[in-house]
Amino acid sequence: MLLSIFIRESLCYPKNSFLLTSTHSCIRGLQVQRAKGIHSYCQWFLCRRVPSRLNIQKRGVKSRKSQTRSQEDDWRKRNKTVLTYIAAAGVGMIGLSYAAVPLYRLYCQASGLGGTAVAGHNAEQVETMAPVKDRVLKITFNADTHASIQWNFRPQQSEIYVVPGETALAFYRAKNPTDKPVIGISTYNVVPFEAGQYFNKIQCFCFEEQRLNPKEEVDMPVFFYIDPEFDEDPRMARVDTITLSYTFFEAKEGQKLPLPGYSLTSQHS
Amino acid sequence: MSTAMNFSSKSFRPRAPDKGSFPLDHFGECKAFKEKFMTCLKDNSYDNSLCRLQSKEYLECRMDNQLMAKEPLEKLGFKDLLDKPSQENQVKP
Repeated sequence: MLLSIFIRESLCYPKNSFLLTSTHSCIRGLQVQRAKGIHSYCQWFLCRRVPSRLNIQKRGVKSRKSQTRSQEDDWRKRNKTVLTYIAAAGVGMIGLSYAAVPLYRLYCQASGLGGTAVAGHNAEQVETMAPVKDRVLKITFNADTHASIQWNFRPQQSEIYVVPGETALAFYRAKNPTDKPVIGISTYNVVPFEAGQYFNKIQCFCFEEQRLNPKEEVDMPVFFYIDPEFDEDPRMARVDTITLSYTFFEAKEGQKLPLPGYSLTSQHS
Repeated sequence: MSTAMNFSSKSFRPRAPDKGSFPLDHFGECKAFKEKFMTCLKDNSYDNSLCRLQSKEYLECRMDNQLMAKEPLEKLGFKDLLDKPSQENQVKP
């Protein structure tokens, strides 16, 4: 290993050629083949020198030295420019990855991919929209609870027939059969997914904590409408049934969860 | 919510309601109106268009009892019901 280091140094820095001469005889004596291999390897990567330099064993003629020096400078300049380009490309890639986030968001809004809210969802249109009387849709209702919440939660109607552009009211019922107040929070889901963007809720009971006192039963309304543009969407041409599904979760931490395998939730009707 | 992991397939994103959440009717103040609405639905085979009057009354009850923010009914989509007050009396079941 030391030998290789010696050789590398001596090849790249011509001023130390005295070292070269002294060591070269040793090398020759010991490991000629290996020296030559390392020598050519080193030349290829580090110095890009013509191998004839080694055989001369002189300090080198001045003209040749200046030639190689200018070549060296050329190479160095080229290396620098190449490195600059690569660095610029790297920085550009990093910048692009940062810029991609808002750009992708814009693209999604424009194209509607990923289910993002279509830009232009107007809350004021409730006033001005006209019902599309000839397109009757059936909305079915589903109610679920998480395993740990002990409410009886179910819809009060299994289905309702609406038309797009008309506001509709639907009810769910929740009962707390336990002796402790329970706070629940719900979320909803609309199937088919694409119809979900047309399903606009004016007011409902989701996403906020709802507290039920012991043995209390309440009616929970959902006031919604289907966007009239539903009728004009070709992808919705075959959709006749939309299912609205609510799921209640328990909001308060620290409540005792039922033992696994033993659930007090009653069956939904 | 939705488990579709495809890039191009639409997934469902829940949206918050426009006017927020209904406060719970703990005291059942509007229960009568709700029952009227439910019977109307049952009688009309769950057709919402025929029971809009009852839903309007239910919402009015909520507004009167501080269970809903007061809003002009046109904004809730009941413009057609307000324009014809004389017919309202005839439509009542």
